[in-house]
Amino acid sequence: MKSMKTLNFSNFFNKSYDWKSIIYVIPVIAVLVFLDFYPIGVGVYFSFTNLNVIHFYNYSFIGFANYIAILTSSAFPQIILHTIIWSVGSTVLMVPMGFALALIINQKGLIGKRFYRTLILFPWAYPAFITLLIWKNMLSYHFGIINEVLNALGFKGLFWLGSPSLAMLSLILVNLWLSFPYYTYVFTASIQSIPSELYDAAEMDGYGTLRTLRRITLPMLSRQFAFITIFGFIFTWNNFYPVFLLTGGGPLISTQILITYSYYEAFTYLAYGVGIAYAIISILILLVLVVLANKYTKMMQVLY
Amino acid sequence: MEESNENKEIRRPRYAEAYYKKNTYYKRISIIKKILSHIILIIVGVYSIFPIYYVILTSLSSVNSIAETSLSDLLPKFFSLSNYYLILFKYPFLTWLGNTLIFCTASTAIGIAFAIIAGIGMSRFNIPGKKAILYMMLILTMFPFVVMVIPLYFMFATLHLVDTYQGLILAYTGGALVYSSWLIMNYVNSLPRDYEEAAQLDGLTQSQALFRILVPMSRPVIIFATLVAFMGPYTDYALAGQFITTPSMYTLAIGLYYTSTGTVVMNYNVYAAFSVLMGLPLFILFFVFQKYLVTGFSLATYK
Repeated sequence: MKSMKTLNFSNFFNKSYDWKSIIYVIPVIAVLVFLDFYPIGVGVYFSFTNLNVIHFYNYSFIGFANYIAILTSSAFPQIILHTIIWSVGSTVLMVPMGFALALIINQKGLIGKRFYRTLILFPWAYPAFITLLIWKNMLSYHFGIINEVLNALGFKGLFWLGSPSLAMLSLILVNLWLSFPYYTYVFTASIQSIPSELYDAAEMDGYGTLRTLRRITLPMLSRQFAFITIFGFIFTWNNFYPVFLLTGGGPLISTQILITYSYYEAFTYLAYGVGIAYAIISILILLVLVVLANKYTKMMQVLY
Repeated sequence: MEESNENKEIRRPRYAEAYYKKNTYYKRISIIKKILSHIILIIVGVYSIFPIYYVILTSLSSVNSIAETSLSDLLPKFFSLSNYYLILFKYPFLTWLGNTLIFCTASTAIGIAFAIIAGIGMSRFNIPGKKAILYMMLILTMFPFVVMVIPLYFMFATLHLVDTYQGLILAYTGGALVYSSWLIMNYVNSLPRDYEEAAQLDGLTQSQALFRILVPMSRPVIIFATLVAFMGPYTDYALAGQFITTPSMYTLAIGLYYTSTGTVVMNYNVYAAFSVLMGLPLFILFFVFQKYLVTGFSLATYK
């Protein structure tokens, strides 16, 4: 095991490489270098410059000034808080909902499985870019159908996207609509991968639903559960469109998350350097969180 | 535990009784469970389809003002296709659709072609630096696109590629290529080498054997990668909105976004028809290739 982990550079010359076959990957290498790593490198450099609309042609290196300005700004703690509420709130709702629905749909002998599975596929199948804008209209205070329904039921309409206290909740709920089908399908696949003998045995032993869930399904899926949760968290952290299209970070900055704020800094306020600095801070935080989560879930594996 | 025969005979009826009692109890529970499940699933089903149902209904309604929204709009009354006529012929929808198809088709075709070559190559040959390429690809998945958009914009500006078809196609191709080659390589790794070796014995050259045998065999992953590569640019605003400024080169996503922000003025019902016309093709595509997409996306999670 140890020898596998250490890099052995003499290997590079001993191994019989297919030097000619490099031609297969030249396009990929070109793209990686010119369209990915070169821009990222330049971007990191830009984050240390005062590149903005005023210094568009004569920008200069200003060291950590952008980062210091961001970290000391009054908006920064709020944006971090929003990003965490957004990612944790979404993950905490969509993963369990997907799992619960997968359990319900996968019950033995349930009539109409295919029908329900098809219905659930709708939010996933319709392009999110469009459904998000549909939701924006449905949640509109004056014209939205949701407030219309509330009024008809005798409630007062709410400023779903217009009030700072409610906007984030609305975002999370719309995101739940958008993402739960994916988790339902992923968990369906993993539940079906559990050997059915285990369930037969549990039935013979007189296990009820909850005991089967606790003793068989959950332990069998613990690793996948951890993985899907972390994956969902990362994806939500970087999920740009729901926030961008529904509230645009507003009202004021009450729903700005790191990635949308980075975009606004760059393309609305035209402070490109600051914008990239925000994105880089986002990556660094995410990286730390992922490493920590990985450590934690590995500990979980040992426990089982 | 040792038990005498006597004991067993005494206990047998008791077991049976208990089992019988338990059985009816469980039957009742399972019926309640089924009913509850159906109720939950129906609620979730309505929740799932409601926005799409509502937008289709709005697009077919001839009531022309959003201010007149009322509960009765939730039921189908009489249909008119006037909104569809308006969006198709009074707005530059068809131009936008044409642009979108140019961007999507070109970037997908180029990206997937190179991804097939790269994926097969990386799977079958001992390419120097292969590990480095794989690590670079993995690291890239962590980066949000914003980091890339700004420098790419400057880079393309100096190359005079901003606001051109080639420029945006190139940018999209780059996005599609990396992820697709990764997917295809993973899939080809799982295919046995026997077939291509047999084909080589039959007189094909190595590269001929690879492509003639492996491309048909990796059809599922190629379909999946193609759809993903196509769907991304189709609804991309973040990149296109910065790269394209000439109105005649707008894509559907740019058009829809500017309509939603009020930059392009459009009646709400026509806007709904726009949403349906733009979304429905991908929606149908998704259902047609449901099998490939669902398995593809669920497997991609475990990578």
